[in-house]
Amino acid sequence: MKSKPNDAIDLDAIKWVVRLDAAPEDAHLRAAFEHWQSLGTNRRGAYIRAKAAWHALDPLMIFPAESIKPPIEGRIPRRAILAGGVGAATIAVCGAGFLFGAREEVSTPIGEIRHVPLADGSLMNVNTDSSVQVTLESGLRQIKLDKGEVWFQVAEDKERPFVVSAGPVRVRAVGTAFSIRRREEGADVLVTEGIVETWSQDDENRKTRLEAGSKVFVSDNFGPERVISVGPDIQRTLAWRDGEIALSGQSLAEAAAEFNRYNEQKLIIDPGLANEGLTGWFRTNEPQTFADAAARVLGAAVAINGNEIRVSRRDEK
Amino acid sequence: MGERADLIQWIGREILPNEGGVRAFLKRAALSPEDVDEVIQEAYCRMAGIEDYRRIENPRAYLYQVVRSILLSQVRRARVVRFDTVAELDSLGVIDSGLNPEQAVLRKDDLQRLKSLIENLPANIRQVFLLRKIDGLSQKAIAAHLNISERTVEWYSTQGLRLVLAEWAKTDKDVRRRLRDEEQTERRDRS
Repeated sequence: MKSKPNDAIDLDAIKWVVRLDAAPEDAHLRAAFEHWQSLGTNRRGAYIRAKAAWHALDPLMIFPAESIKPPIEGRIPRRAILAGGVGAATIAVCGAGFLFGAREEVSTPIGEIRHVPLADGSLMNVNTDSSVQVTLESGLRQIKLDKGEVWFQVAEDKERPFVVSAGPVRVRAVGTAFSIRRREEGADVLVTEGIVETWSQDDENRKTRLEAGSKVFVSDNFGPERVISVGPDIQRTLAWRDGEIALSGQSLAEAAAEFNRYNEQKLIIDPGLANEGLTGWFRTNEPQTFADAAARVLGAAVAINGNEIRVSRRDEK
Repeated sequence: MGERADLIQWIGREILPNEGGVRAFLKRAALSPEDVDEVIQEAYCRMAGIEDYRRIENPRAYLYQVVRSILLSQVRRARVVRFDTVAELDSLGVIDSGLNPEQAVLRKDDLQRLKSLIENLPANIRQVFLLRKIDGLSQKAIAAHLNISERTVEWYSTQGLRLVLAEWAKTDKDVRRRLRDEEQTERRDRS
């Protein structure tokens, strides 16, 4: 699919930076650039790199400019220069490969959390080990969650319903924010703003309306189960968006399972400790910090062996 | 996804100076030059998506983490990456978690590098750069001031930025060697 060698793309990117710097107000130029950039994520990367190098030269101010005699007419205030060419939207998404129309695919490896703006103004936070397809059509915004978890901030657009599918589970939103996590036999749906409607395709008669601050498990076969009010705990549940795991009384086994979603290095908990409760904030990618903290609190021992972190009771003396 | 000015500046300040190191590493990992370019481009693309760079305490380690993740996804795409590459990358990322004195020295080096980079540009390119960056002249005004066409100004800027990027792409070793050589020349000139 590659039409140009990468160093040629680097040169094109440099030209775009210089041209846009010369005419930041030129809408045609900007549109042409957006098109060029949308043809591949490495183009966007090359552009960002060139632009960063261009601006890295801004500290030139600190060097004495003996060769130049100010004042010169036509001077532009510095601030205006820095603001130039910033702000227009593009739909290129890194790692999504090439983009045709408004369809894109985002998948994250274990441990990566990605923040992806969509072309309609909505925002997706894609959690670890997830895979999602976005198709934006004129009458419908269709999102397919193949695995993992995503939180959506949906841009309001009454003409274009926003429908997420996870297996047979469906969630429909207009302008709202919610997360959905694919489970083995259904999906967890949690609403942070507004209202969504959710159901399973296998039983379309049983639809449930879900308000902000509540969550529900939607079974593939039997549709939504009982709605649970989450309340202030909602921020904790969504701490992953900032790369964090927030624990408030979960068992050690639950906490370990949570860390294991994000890391190749797996936590293994001694059955005797599995039910101990824990509270605290941790980074998703620091299972060892968590293990050390837990061991300290519980008077347990941590043993690391390759990709295993084992937390177990200290040997009885 | 427009580019945010402060993020771009952060990338220029914190990431760009580490590019040479990453390239050297990728080369050692037996990636083709074409693949090295692509991994670098992809890394910058991901950098542009960072939501809050202020939370990144160690940009260098972060960059290596991003490169690691790109390499892993390429493994998945059935591209060949030597396995020990990833292991080495991990150790590189770990070497300096947190700011250490060595890093503070590196920062001074970066500034020195930037300075010498500009000084070594061909004279007419340097002049255009200084007019743009220090005097804040527009391309049009520079053309009028130097009595050359706007296309020529554009060409100088393009060539200049190209040279600057080529310099950042060099490995640390190349750069240290050159800085040392320059220093020696300077000393010789003085005595």
